[in-house]
Amino acid sequence: MREHMDRKGFLALSGATGLAAFLAACGGSSSSDSGSESVNEAQAEGVEAEEAAAAVAFDPATEPGGPIEIFTWAGYDNDPEAGAPWMWSQYEEGPYGTESPLKFTFLEDDGQALAKVASGYSPDITHPCIAYTVQWKEAGLIQPLDLNLLPDYDGIPAAINAGAIIEGQPYLLPFDVGFSCLTYDADAISFDNYGGEETWQVLLDEAYKGKMALFSDDVALIKIGHLINDSQAGVAPTDPNVLTTEQIAAAKETALKVKPNLRNYWTSQTDTVNDFLNGNLLATYTWPDGYWKIKNDEKMKDRNIKYMQPKEGRLAWVCGMVLSSSTKQPGRATMAMAASNTPQAGADLTDVFQYASAQQKGVMDLIQDKALISAFDIDKPEAWEPPNAWFEAPLPNYKEYITAGQEVKAA
Amino acid sequence: MATVADKPRLPRKRSRRERRNDGGSALSTYGLLAPTLLVLAAFFLLPLYYIFLFSVALKRFSPTEALAALNGELNGFSGELWGNLVSWNVDVAVLGLDFAIPAVLIGVVLIVLLVLTVAGGRLSERHGTWIVGIAFALLLMPFLTIPAGNSLLRIMQFTSEGIQLNLFFKSVTMAMTSSVIAVIVAIPVAYFLAFCVQRSKYTWLLIVIAPFLTSYLLRVFAWKVILGDQGLINSGLMTIGIIDEPLTFLIYSQFTVMVVLTYAWVPFICLPIFLAFETIDRRLLEASMDLGATRWQAFRKITLPIAAPGVVAAFLFVFIPSIGEYVTPTLVGGVDGTMFGQNLASQFVGGSFNWQYGSAMALFLMGVVLILVFATSRFLRAGGGGL
Repeated sequence: MREHMDRKGFLALSGATGLAAFLAACGGSSSSDSGSESVNEAQAEGVEAEEAAAAVAFDPATEPGGPIEIFTWAGYDNDPEAGAPWMWSQYEEGPYGTESPLKFTFLEDDGQALAKVASGYSPDITHPCIAYTVQWKEAGLIQPLDLNLLPDYDGIPAAINAGAIIEGQPYLLPFDVGFSCLTYDADAISFDNYGGEETWQVLLDEAYKGKMALFSDDVALIKIGHLINDSQAGVAPTDPNVLTTEQIAAAKETALKVKPNLRNYWTSQTDTVNDFLNGNLLATYTWPDGYWKIKNDEKMKDRNIKYMQPKEGRLAWVCGMVLSSSTKQPGRATMAMAASNTPQAGADLTDVFQYASAQQKGVMDLIQDKALISAFDIDKPEAWEPPNAWFEAPLPNYKEYITAGQEVKAA
Repeated sequence: MATVADKPRLPRKRSRRERRNDGGSALSTYGLLAPTLLVLAAFFLLPLYYIFLFSVALKRFSPTEALAALNGELNGFSGELWGNLVSWNVDVAVLGLDFAIPAVLIGVVLIVLLVLTVAGGRLSERHGTWIVGIAFALLLMPFLTIPAGNSLLRIMQFTSEGIQLNLFFKSVTMAMTSSVIAVIVAIPVAYFLAFCVQRSKYTWLLIVIAPFLTSYLLRVFAWKVILGDQGLINSGLMTIGIIDEPLTFLIYSQFTVMVVLTYAWVPFICLPIFLAFETIDRRLLEASMDLGATRWQAFRKITLPIAAPGVVAAFLFVFIPSIGEYVTPTLVGGVDGTMFGQNLASQFVGGSFNWQYGSAMALFLMGVVLILVFATSRFLRAGGGGL
C-alpha cells in the first residue's frame, strides 16, 4: 500500500494546481474586467455626482451616518493634547458629531497619499497639498465642494486659493500654509563664503559634510537643485514649479552634488529634529514647527538657531482638504472640512504648529502667541511672495520631477 | 530439488479492499496537501501571474482610464522600460583596478560559475569539492564587502551606469554581506547551544531568540540610539579618549543597514542551524575522535557537512528578505544606504506611479532570488551534497 505521495504524484498534483491557478487567473481576468466595468459604472456615477454637485447642494440631513474617515498628516487628528479648541471641534460639537464621528488615518507624503487612494483606499476626506490637486481631480478621485456648507470660505485669499480651483470649481479647501527651509545652527554654519547672505548653496559646502539633511521628497530635491543653479548662474531665481525637462536634468545634477554632503534624506520630521538636538546635524530641512522645537529645546538654549531666509527664496506649501468622489456622506464631510476653515481653527494652527492659516479673516486677533506672528512673518504678505518664497503650485510635468528625484536618491 | 522456498515469489494479487484503501490513502494525501497548494496558488502563483501581466502591459490594475493614466498603465509595453533594468556594460573593479566589461560576458561568467557550483562535483571525484567551493566563492566575491567605515573595502565590485542595475548590485552586496556575517555569527551560538549546553537547552534557545519578542521597528530605533553621534558607542569611545569626534559612518550609512540587518536576523537563523546540529549523531563525532581526528577535523568532516543544509537554509532566510528590504534602509540607510526594494516600492506607493516598471523590477528581483536558490539547492539536500 502506498504510504506517501511519490515525486511523480506530487509533480502531477502541483502541475494540476498550477494549471488550475492559471485558469483561475484567466477567469479572474474576465471577472476583473467585469469588475472594471462595475467600477467604470461607479465612476460614471461619480462623474454624474460631480456634475450634480455643482448644481445641487449636499444635504447632510439625509446622509446615512457612520464614521467619516480623514486621511491626513500626523498631528491633525483630534488629539486632546494638541490644545482645545482644535480644528475639528466645531464639527464634533455640531449636530452630526456623534452620528458621523471622525476617524483618522495618517499619510506620509503627497505622492504616497495619492498612490494609496489611486490603488483603492477610499477615505472621505484627504489632506494633500495643492500641487497635486490636478492629479487628484484628473484621476476622478475627488469632487467639487459645496460652498453653501463652507460659511468661512471667503476668508481665504485668492492667491492662496488659486491652485485649488480647477475649471471654475473648488476642489480643495486650503487649510495650512507654511515654509519649508533649512533650520541651522548659526554658531557653526557661516555664510561668509557667500557674501554673508543666506543661500541654499550652503548644501554644497563640504565644510558641513555629513552634518546636513533634507526631506525625502523627490520634488523638493529638484526644486532646491534648481534654486541653487539659478543662484550659481548669478540670475534672479525663477519659479521652481514650472521647470522644463532640461532644467529638471540640471537640477538633478546639482542635487547629486549635494547628496554626498548630506547625512540622510529624512522621512519623519520628528527624527530629524531629534538628530539635530542630539548634535548629529547642523542644518536640516524643516517646517516651521520643526524649527520652533529645535530653537526652544533646552539643549539648544546656548546655540543661535535660525530659520534660513535664502536669497533664492524659501519653499512654501499650501495644503488642504479634498472630498472623495466616492464618499457616502459628502455633506457631513464638507461640514467637517468647514470646521477646519474657521478663524479659530486657523489661529490654533499657528499656536499649535506655528504654521500660517489659509483662513485669514480675523485670525491674527485670535492667535494667542503673538510672537509667532513676527517669527514667521505671518502678517507680511511680501514674505510669502517670490522671490522671498515659492509656493507650491500644480506641476505641469510632475512625473519628471519625481523620476529625477528618485534617481538622485538611488544614485 | 527445488523447494517451495526456492521458487520465485510472484507478486500477490491485491484484494479489491486493499486497492480501495490504497486509493483512499492517496486521496487523503492529496487532501492534506490541497490547502497548502491552494494557499500557494492564491498568494503566490496568482499574484505572480498578474505581476507578469502588469510588467508587459497585458493587464492593468486600475479600474478606470483616469486611474490607469495616473499609474502609467496606458503607455503600452515598453522594452525601454525593461531595458532600464539592465545595462550593456558593467564596470568591474578588482582591487582598485577598473575594467569595463560587456554585461553579456559578465552574465556568461556568472552562469558558468553557477553551473560549476551546482554540478562541479561531478567533474572530478577527487577535486569536486574544491571546484564547487571555488566556483561558489567566485560567485559571491563581487557581492561581498567588509563594512569598514565610510569606504567599504571591496575585493571585487560591480558597478553600472544604469541607475537601477547599480542600485541592484549595491543591494545584493549589502544583503549578501549581511547574510554571510549573520551565518558566521549564528553558527557558534547554535553550536554552543547544541553541543555545550547540557541542561535547559531550550530555555537558552528562547533567550537567544528573545529579541523577536519585540517589535522590529523598536529594535531598529534602538540601533539609532546606540550608533548615533551622541549614542552609546560614540560617547563611550570619546569618554575613554579613543576618538575626539564622533564616528559619523556609524549611523545613516550602508554600514548601519548591514549591522541592523545582521542583528535582526541572527536570532532567527540560529534556529535552523541549531536544529541541523541537533540531528548529528554524537557517536559519529566520538568515532572520529577515536580514529584520531582533531576537533577541527571532526567539525569540518562531520559536523559541517551534515549541518550544511541548515546553514544554507539560514543563509537564504536572511538573503531573500534582505535583498528586497524597505524598512531598514528607509530608517537608517542615509544617502548611501538606499536599496532596490525602496525604489521598487516607490513605483507603487511612493508617488512614482509606474506599476509596469514596479512589476518588472519585482520580477527581476525574483528571478535573481530563484537563481540563487537554484545555485544553493545542491547544498540544501540532506548530507550537504558532499561539502
